[in-house]
Formats: sequence, C-alpha cells, structure tokens
Amino acid sequence: MVWLNIILNRLAWLVPTLLGLLLIVFLLSRVVPIDPARLAAGDNASPAQVEAVRQQLGFDRPLPVQFLRYVGDVARGDFGTSLFTQQPIVDDLAARLPATLELTIVAILLAAGIGIPLGVVCGLHRNSWIDHSLRIVTVSGLAVASFWLAMQFQFLFSMKLGWLPLSGRIEGFPPEEVTGLVIIDALIEGDGEIIGSALSHIVLPAITLALPAAATVVRFTRNGVLGAIGSASVAYQTAMGYPRRLIVWKYVLRQAISATVTQLGLIFGILLAGAVVVETVFDWPGIGAYAVRSILQSDYNAVMGFTLWTGAIFVLINLLVDLLQAAIDPRGAR
Amino acid sequence: MATTRRTALKTALAASGTLLAGAAPARAAPAKFVYANNSPYDNMDPHTVFDTARAATRFNLYDGLYRWVDNPPKMIPWLAESHTVSEDGKVYTFTLRQGAKFHDGKPVTAEDVVFSLERILALKKGPASLYLDVIKPGSTKAVDARTVQFNLTQPSAIFLGTVPDILVVNSELVKKNAKGDDWAEPWLARNEAGSGSYALRRYDPAVGWSARRFREHFAGWGERAFEEVEFRTVLETNTRVLGLQRGDYQGVDGYLPYDQIQRLRGAPNVQIIEHESLRVFQFALNTTRAPLDDVHFRRALAYAFDYEGFIRDIMRGSVARNPGPNPNPLWGSPEGLAGYSFDLDKAREELKQVKGPLRPITINALAGFSESEQAAVLFQNTLRQIGVEARVEVSPWSVVSSRMRTADTQADLVPLWKSTYYVDPNNWVGELVGSRYRGTRSFSYYSDPEVDALLDKALLSSDQAERQKLYAAVTQIVNDRAIGIFIYNTKWYGPYAADVEGIRFSPVSNGQDLRWAQGKA
Repeated sequence: MVWLNIILNRLAWLVPTLLGLLLIVFLLSRVVPIDPARLAAGDNASPAQVEAVRQQLGFDRPLPVQFLRYVGDVARGDFGTSLFTQQPIVDDLAARLPATLELTIVAILLAAGIGIPLGVVCGLHRNSWIDHSLRIVTVSGLAVASFWLAMQFQFLFSMKLGWLPLSGRIEGFPPEEVTGLVIIDALIEGDGEIIGSALSHIVLPAITLALPAAATVVRFTRNGVLGAIGSASVAYQTAMGYPRRLIVWKYVLRQAISATVTQLGLIFGILLAGAVVVETVFDWPGIGAYAVRSILQSDYNAVMGFTLWTGAIFVLINLLVDLLQAAIDPRGAR
Repeated sequence: MATTRRTALKTALAASGTLLAGAAPARAAPAKFVYANNSPYDNMDPHTVFDTARAATRFNLYDGLYRWVDNPPKMIPWLAESHTVSEDGKVYTFTLRQGAKFHDGKPVTAEDVVFSLERILALKKGPASLYLDVIKPGSTKAVDARTVQFNLTQPSAIFLGTVPDILVVNSELVKKNAKGDDWAEPWLARNEAGSGSYALRRYDPAVGWSARRFREHFAGWGERAFEEVEFRTVLETNTRVLGLQRGDYQGVDGYLPYDQIQRLRGAPNVQIIEHESLRVFQFALNTTRAPLDDVHFRRALAYAFDYEGFIRDIMRGSVARNPGPNPNPLWGSPEGLAGYSFDLDKAREELKQVKGPLRPITINALAGFSESEQAAVLFQNTLRQIGVEARVEVSPWSVVSSRMRTADTQADLVPLWKSTYYVDPNNWVGELVGSRYRGTRSFSYYSDPEVDALLDKALLSSDQAERQKLYAAVTQIVNDRAIGIFIYNTKWYGPYAADVEGIRFSPVSNGQDLRWAQGKA
C-alpha cells in the first residue's frame, strides 16, 4: 500500500505540474518579439504569404484559444509540427532523447561512482587533510562553468594528447536503432568497433557533466556519513564488536545514502538542463542541442515540447527516487 | 632506460586512448569529405530551404537548369544546354541536355522541371518570392520531353539569373510520396529526389547528412573525387576549428570570425582559400521614421561612422571598404563612387540642418555575429560625440528578421550583411530601395516614384549597357540621400584541409558545391 500511495500521490501531482509548466512556457514564448508565421514562411515571403501561413498554423487566433488548442493537442499526444524540420515534435524529440538519456545516465553513474566513495572517505576522516583537500576540489568542481570545462577537456585530451575524439556521438552515423542507446545497440549487434567508438565519444561529455554533480554527491554523502556515524545504532554495533568495514559499508552507508539518493534525483534534472550546454560544445545530437537550435530559430512548438518532455522526465525520475528511498529506508515512506 | 611509474602510466593511458578512439586522426587524403557547418540541416527540401549557409543540400543533391560557379560568378549550362528568349522578353525556352538522370535512374524531363516550378509556387517558401511576381501557376509548359517553356507575365531582366534556383525534383517520386495536396513537403524534408552530383545515403536531422558520389552524373568526375561527402551540424565555432585542425573535418564554413581564421593559418594541415565575396556589410536604415526620414540626419550618420578604424582595428584589415550598396566586384555602380568617410565636423554640419527634433535611436545588432555587435558599439560611441544618443539591442537573427518585416517594428539601424541570391545589382541596390520589396526583401522601406521608375525600367530592359546606367543612377541616388551606411564587402576565408584541392568558390554556393573537390595527388 505504501508503494501504491507514493505512486498515486506523485501521479496526481504530475498533471497540474505539467500544466503549470506548459502555461509558463507558452506565455514566455508568446511575449518575445518574434513573428512565428514570418519565420515559418521564410525570409523572402511576401506579407500575403505570411498571413496564409499564420492562418494555417493558427497563430491568428486569440492567445487563450491557442493555448487551449495546444493543451488539447498535447493531451492527444500531438505536440505540433516543428516549423523548421516539418516533422512532428514528438518524432524529433523521440529521435534525440536516447542520445541525451545515454549521456545523462553515464554521467550520473560516474557522479555516483566517484562521489559516494569519496563522500564516505571524507565523512570517516572529518577535518583531516583528505577532507579539506576534497572540499577544495568539490567546491571548485561546483564553481567551474561546464562550457569552459568542456573546452579545456577538448583541448587537452583531443588536441594535445589525441587520446579521445573531439566531438560527436560516434564516428559517422549510428547503427540501426534497437533501443536508440548506441552503446547498448552496439552490444546487441556485437560490433566491437562501434562499442569502442561510442565509448570513446561519450567519455569527455559525460565527465564534463558528471564532475560538478559528483561534487554535490560528495558533500551530501559526507554529511550523511557524519550523521550516521554518531548514531546510537552505530555505537551499538561498535560495542558488539562488528568489524569496522561491515559497519561503514553496510550500516553507515545505508543510513547516509538516503539523502544522496534524493539528491541524485534532483541532479538528474540538473544534468538534463546542463546537457544543453555540453551537447552544444561536444556536438552531441540530443534534445539539449535540439533545444538550443529551436530557441535560436524561435521554433515555439519545439521549445515547448522540449520543456514539457524534460519536465515530465524530471517528475518521473523523482517518482523513482521516492520509491528507491522507500526501499532503502521504509520509515520515511510511512 | 628505466621506466618510471609515471611514464608507465602515460604509456598505458596513451595506449588505452588510442584503442578507445578507434583510429588516430586521419593524415592521408581521405575517401570521405566531412564538412562542419554552423547551420542545422533540419530540412532537406530544396524548395523550402533557401539560405546560403545551407547551400550544400541544394547544390550537391540537386541540379538546376543552369548553375552559378566561380568568382566572379558565371552562369554555366547545367541540366539545360541552351535557352532562347522571345522578342518581347516574356517567353524563355530551355532545351534540356540528353543523358541526365535522377538517382533512381529515371531520365530528367521537361515535366520534372514544370512540376518543380509549380511546387515552388505552391509552397510559397524559400525561392518562391523570386518567381511569384512574374510566373503564374500553370503557365509553364513542357513542350516535349527536352523542351520547357517559361511564360512570364512581364519581361524580367533578372529571371535568367534566378533560374539556377529552380532545382529539379523527380516528379514521379515526389508525387508517389505526396499525401493529399501537401506536395510531399514532410517527405522531402527528410528524403531526397534529385539528380545531383551526390545521392543521399543517411540523414539524421540531429547530426547532418551523408551522400555517395553519383557516378552516372552527366558532368563526369575527376580522378580523385571524393566517394562520399558528409555535412555535419557543429554549432560551436571552437569545436569546428579544432576539428579541422585535428583532421576530423576537411572543410568548415567560410565566414568564421577573423581571429579563428588567423588561428587556423598557423595549422600545418589547413589551407585558407581567400575570395572577395559578394556580401556587403552595412547599417540598414529605417527611413520611414523621423529623424531618419530627413536626408541631413542620414548623412550625419553616414559621416559619423569610423569606416577605416573599423576595418583596420576590428576587422584587422581582413576586408575591403565597399562605399556603395553593390559589392565592389559587381557592375551597376557609378564610376569612382567614393561614398562617405569618417568626418565628425561634416556630421555636425548636417545635423544642424535637420528640421525636426532629434531623439535617441536604436541599433539592433545580430547576436552571435561579433562584427555586427562591434560595429553597433563603435557607432554608439562616435554618435555620442556628435550629440546623438544610440541604444544598442542585441537579438538573434530570427528576432531581427521578424522585426524587419514591417516599417513599424524595424529598428532604426540594423548592422547586417546582404548576401548573394542572384548575381545582379537588383539583388543589392534594387531590393534595398524598390517599393515592390517593402515587407519582403527591402532593408530601408524607402519609397520614391522616381527611383521605382528607374528600377522598373532596369528590370524590363534586356540591354546591358542601359541597365548599367540605370542601376548606376539609382546607386548614386542611394549615395546622395544616404539610404544606408555601407561599410565593407566580405572576404570569404574558406578553411579546408591542406590535402584537398578543386574547391570552386561561388558567392551563391558558398564553397559548399563539392563536386569538383578532390584529394591532392
């Protein structure tokens, strides 16, 4: 029942959350001084052509009518057609989402893989030189702008050392899609060359995304460890003569990681947003790069579609985090 | 030699890196030409996309009846081998060459040309505005399989120059993929139905496209032509530049900021091909609003811009001063046109003669184009010295372009470039001041029956000497009345891999028509 309650509660909030998001984005996109009909008609279109396109796209209707019509379309799964690709927004986003998900998942695994052990070490060695050194590194990690970090990585690892590719998701075009995740698809096909190419291409963008996130994970895990290590249960386990390694990596970590897992859910959203910059620098063909192009070209429908999808993914990830947290520490769920 | 832990680690990392990268950066002339472009290939339809930045799609996958090549641009027969014009200048009859085929093997016929033009007129996008005024839907005829006849509503001296933009699609294939009356617009946005030098192989709007050499193309091939071309969208300038240096790309768009060109000059595996292009950088003036409707105020502005300082210090001498609306290499300007020079005393004198009150003016620069922003800020500073306040706004091209569609919303001044759509002074001075272009291609919203009469005559005339005189007269008027502040003609610095040759630059195709490109022997 606890699980069902969590799921129903979160799903009940999903609709108003997305509606609110949709309204804000819709209003923002309509107050910018751009004529979408003019953009769709092209630079050389005459006023009559522009008016024809305006009517065709429904931009001549009052704003509330446009919004209600859009909400109705979205409810039916129709996000409209991109003014520039001439394709349904759903198709555009679906084609690009796997690239972003692949990058974000690898980045969050890296962030957790680096951040959690380091956070535990910091917590266990509070105020030691290790703790202070890692604090400096993590604060720096949070302060560095991701586009700057991306360019430095490109310069060092691609240009100076020549170890890793400069940009792109893979050499040439990706293989035929099964899941859309190139690494997984290449594994399914058993194509070692594509696996190598995909892995080498994802290293730099994933690390660029992961480092600031890892810094946050370190700090949250450290605080969690500090809280857990002073608890009565740990004192009891110590008194009972449990091995220290068992206490730390099983009991302390289990208590400490609860806040970190919540944080990872938030970080996932931040990584999705951060991907907009990183995808542009690394020419990564995901929804972040698509969003940048859509914004630059004032492609209203595409911008709204991107925002809504990102919001929906963020809400769903947080639902998963809540469920995971309930599994780790059932007391919170009750 | 002793191996330390550090050197061992370096060796191991280097080895794993090479393994991960799959292959070291290419050094030999590759079989594939990869071009990194800053514009997204989000639509492949040759009748929708009509900008010079994405010329690659139109000119590599499709053919027109004629084609603009080289610099100065010359028009050469392409799908058509010849044409005739009727005495009244209204009927253009083209004879198609024999042996031209689409990529599916079907011969290119006059019916395909007719269908293509009708499609352009019906979609009313891209190049449509070049033809809508002079060709009525349904008036173009296929006389026989190899003869096509365009029937114009009035003589047009620029029609022939715009013929290369009628890119011919495979009518059978397009019709087969049409739904209702959509002219297969969604289908052709992602697919290809051309006869061009390259046939589309893969297209991913998020990545770009690749195409294989069409061996049966009527124009034949060089010995070391590239088997495959790939056009990738790489929005980040730094990534494009580094990729060219690394050997990942063989070509990059040719209007990079000049500091990046200088950076590339130092790279041993890169060559920079230079051409004086046909792309005039100017301040467009909205002449409908006071005080810009006063010729003395406009002249004051024209005297208040530091042309030499801008070209020398900001453009680092990389461009040539262009005193009028037409690009320097083109005909149509009066002999010895000097234009304006930076003279604040003369500017103050002109300001004294302005009848109405002065007000702060707005300069709307283009975001992401450093020259546009720098010109705006420089102008703001010098205008302040003559007592004119200017507010600089920076907006993306989509915003600026949208604002320029009506005189009410266009900013007072817009620093921007006028590119080549067809090679005729009408593309520049004609569209700048012709009333017929208000709301479409005009930058100035200027309107004067005397100027319109001269332009109409120039458009109707087939006498080149007369046209030269007419456009020169209009250009002189533009200069005297300061209907625009003209700064420089762009130099095109095409960055290519050093092991590539045969790039034929034309301002129309922007160095992206790759059928003559090949690897060096």
